Amino acid sequence: MRLTVNGRVHTLDSALPLSLLELLRDRLALTGTKFVCGRGECGACTVQLDGETVYSCLTLAEACDGATVLTVEGLASGGGEPSLSPIQRAFIAKDAAQCGFCTPGQLMAAHTLLARNPHPTDDEIRSGMSGNLCRCGTYPKILAAVRAVADGEFAGSAEAGSVNAA
Amino acid sequence: MPRKTKGAAKPGGFVQTTVEIEGRTETRIVEIPAFEPAAWGTDAELGIVGARVPRMDAPERVSGRARYTTDIVRPGMLHAAIVRSTIPRGTIRSLDLSRARAMPGVLDVLGPGDAPAGTRLFGREIFYAGQPIAAVCAATGHAARSAAHAIAVEYDTLPFAVTFEDATAKDAPKVRAKGNVMENAPLVISRGDMDAGLKAADVIVRREFRTPVQLHTALEPHGAVAEWEGDRLTVWESTQGIFRVRENVSKALGITLSKVRVIKDYMGGGFGAKNGAGPHTYVAALFAKRQGRAVRCINDREAEQTDSGNRPSSTQRVTIGAKKDGTLTAIFASIDVPLGISGWEGGPGQIYHELYACPNVRTEETFAYVNASGMAAFRGPGYVEGAFGLESAMNALAKELKLDPVALRVKNFAKREPRTARPYSGNSLLQCYKEGAEAFGWSHESRKPEAGSRTRVGKGMAAQVWPTGGGPPAYALVRMNSDATVDVLAGTQDLGTGARTVLSQIAAESLGAKLSDVRAIIGDTQSLPYTGNSWGSMTTASVGPAVRMAAEDARRQLFEAAGAMLDATPDALEARDSRIVVRDTDRTMTFAEVTAKLGNVMIIGKGSRGPNPADTAIMTFGAQFAEVEVDLDTGIVRVLRIVATHDAGRIINPTLAESQLEGGIIQGLGYALFEERVLDRRLGLVMNATIHDYKIPTMADIPLIDAFFVAGADPVANHTGARGIAEPPMIPTAPAIAAAVSDAIGAEVTEIPLTPWRVLAAIAAKARR
Repeated sequence: MRLTVNGRVHTLDSALPLSLLELLRDRLALTGTKFVCGRGECGACTVQLDGETVYSCLTLAEACDGATVLTVEGLASGGGEPSLSPIQRAFIAKDAAQCGFCTPGQLMAAHTLLARNPHPTDDEIRSGMSGNLCRCGTYPKILAAVRAVADGEFAGSAEAGSVNAA
Repeated sequence: MPRKTKGAAKPGGFVQTTVEIEGRTETRIVEIPAFEPAAWGTDAELGIVGARVPRMDAPERVSGRARYTTDIVRPGMLHAAIVRSTIPRGTIRSLDLSRARAMPGVLDVLGPGDAPAGTRLFGREIFYAGQPIAAVCAATGHAARSAAHAIAVEYDTLPFAVTFEDATAKDAPKVRAKGNVMENAPLVISRGDMDAGLKAADVIVRREFRTPVQLHTALEPHGAVAEWEGDRLTVWESTQGIFRVRENVSKALGITLSKVRVIKDYMGGGFGAKNGAGPHTYVAALFAKRQGRAVRCINDREAEQTDSGNRPSSTQRVTIGAKKDGTLTAIFASIDVPLGISGWEGGPGQIYHELYACPNVRTEETFAYVNASGMAAFRGPGYVEGAFGLESAMNALAKELKLDPVALRVKNFAKREPRTARPYSGNSLLQCYKEGAEAFGWSHESRKPEAGSRTRVGKGMAAQVWPTGGGPPAYALVRMNSDATVDVLAGTQDLGTGARTVLSQIAAESLGAKLSDVRAIIGDTQSLPYTGNSWGSMTTASVGPAVRMAAEDARRQLFEAAGAMLDATPDALEARDSRIVVRDTDRTMTFAEVTAKLGNVMIIGKGSRGPNPADTAIMTFGAQFAEVEVDLDTGIVRVLRIVATHDAGRIINPTLAESQLEGGIIQGLGYALFEERVLDRRLGLVMNATIHDYKIPTMADIPLIDAFFVAGADPVANHTGARGIAEPPMIPTAPAIAAAVSDAIGAEVTEIPLTPWRVLAAIAAKARR
């Protein structure tokens, strides 16, 4: 099977008895996407599959033949911090990650939400993001980060993600 | 600020000091540091400490680069899975490991009798459902899990008890070998004269409150990767205490401390449950030894929800007496706590003694063992449960006395720590009441329902206290590299709290370095100096002063070197933004120019945490205000607003500290409304061990939260002026929400979580009256 992940084409054995999540983490060493519940309850494994968010823990790898996958590792446009995507820079600036374990899934959900609806209301953000659990309770900051991107605060490739503020 | 300590208080001498951890007081012998920096008082001019600096490891966390224990891969790594008991009590009659052994990919199996005694693993006697009874090691996680399912177990079952009532009944089954109730029960803490206190009261309020078992539900489960190199063992562990894991592993497996190395880079949540090694650690280490390869053992979600610790439930029978003007005369609570099969007496009682000035206070706590997985510390252990009882009773008392709940609390404000009469290092609780009430608009009437509306709005509040002084031992090094970058080295851990950022800010401030040149290196027992667990809201107040001292020591050395280069005495130098200036001159050098001249001559500053001030109570305080909307037909509660005001001394980074406040409030909201482990009394099994069935808050549940700190610093507590903040915000949230629900429906609620049926029951009970 062939699979494009973050712009790179991978040719893999077919008949892999794996979920897309296991394929990403164990075969392709893309460990940014996290396993938490394995049953589509928490959203930590959210990735983009052909432009739609999916729970990669519930997605069979084999069913992804020919598909295009985007993971947290593919959000930045190149190497290094200045190339982080607006939603990543917003998460840094608004302190939208505490332990960070749910963050890759939150970012993918937010990225897809904003691609589909660039100017969501707060309620649309709340409902669009409520499939992604965060036990640290970072929700107000995640909401603020998505809001800020929607409002254009992180348009362009500024160095807003820099830690040189002080 | 003069610091009083017991014993010879000279640098290098040893003194006795006390440290409060999770509500327990420990006495320690510690060395007095060689020098102690002058305390940063309230008016200290600081540029980096106190600044809203972005979390320094956020780029790693948002890019997928942050490595958690579950992401660690070692060459040739194998995978382990643990088999767990499916009955709550009995003995294993037979355990057939042969089918598992024969399955593809399986390399090794451990069962009864195969683990060293120190691990207490794989006994034949079963004490709770979920208890580890065997383990499998295989080439893949799939193979290990499949083989674990293939192990056939036959049990001889025994009667069991999973509730406090069943475990303490007259003919109760033997929960464990040594008795169903903790020795010396009840645990009595008392001051004054209860009879006199009740006799002096004009009004007496009596209530019974119940709180549920709450599960930590960290998204990254407990897990470890173990690898041996000869007789040296390396463990990657998702933990709040690398040195405690090292000690646990050393004891359990009989390896000397220095041959165990524990590493924790990033972790996906702790909340109190990850304070040491566990079965997964020992299983990984044992298989790794037997197989000569690295082994990963990570809890699956069911194990995480059933056997990784919990906040135990409680029943609190509370009696409060007061004068007509609100002056408290007596507080009494009789408290039952079922701990699970193991645990400690971190009970609800403490806060009854600490929050208010009342001459007569008595708590009687009985801790029972039951056939369920043991409890563990959970963010504000004991105080979260106790605050629900105490603060709900205070709100009932205010109603009875027709007094404003804030006024009642102000009336009973404790000028000294009421249990020990010690002075506080600092206490701005009155300011919290005032600023919180103003921000909330407490004096305004709640919104009236529109005609015909079936929703009601209500408001409520509650207060909080929690010991947060931190203390020794904690050590740090600050190393200036030859490229003038600065490394802070401390064997602490960042749970998502922001420790890396906060310690870097303290070092940069003290050294006069640019923050962007500073990096905190943490989480490795082999190469970093000792610090304690990140528990009890202790890290900033314990490690922060050690880092500051190390940075001051490094600056002293840097100024010695630069003085010679700049033809000035060291005391004529100042540093800022990684540049040294000779005061009142234009002579200057950057740090990089100094280190370039030094070449490979290193500057290494050493710091340690000094003793705590003697006979001083170091606490964090706060008040929270809640507004809710209740649907009278469905019983569904929506929290509309929370205002939280806390006093934790100096705040090193307000943005990160506010994130902690919000996180604590949201976990408190879950505790108030949704979270409840359901353990079937007749089956002895957990019925909701999934994230779907055990409800934690989602983004859609989050109210408007206005969480902030009162201004100030606490130079008596330690020389950074900071106290702890991680646990306090969770303590008052549930009673504040419950009070708001009571206000909205016009009937008291005394049991959480406030699920729709409990709210409807309260409404129905009121209608029947």
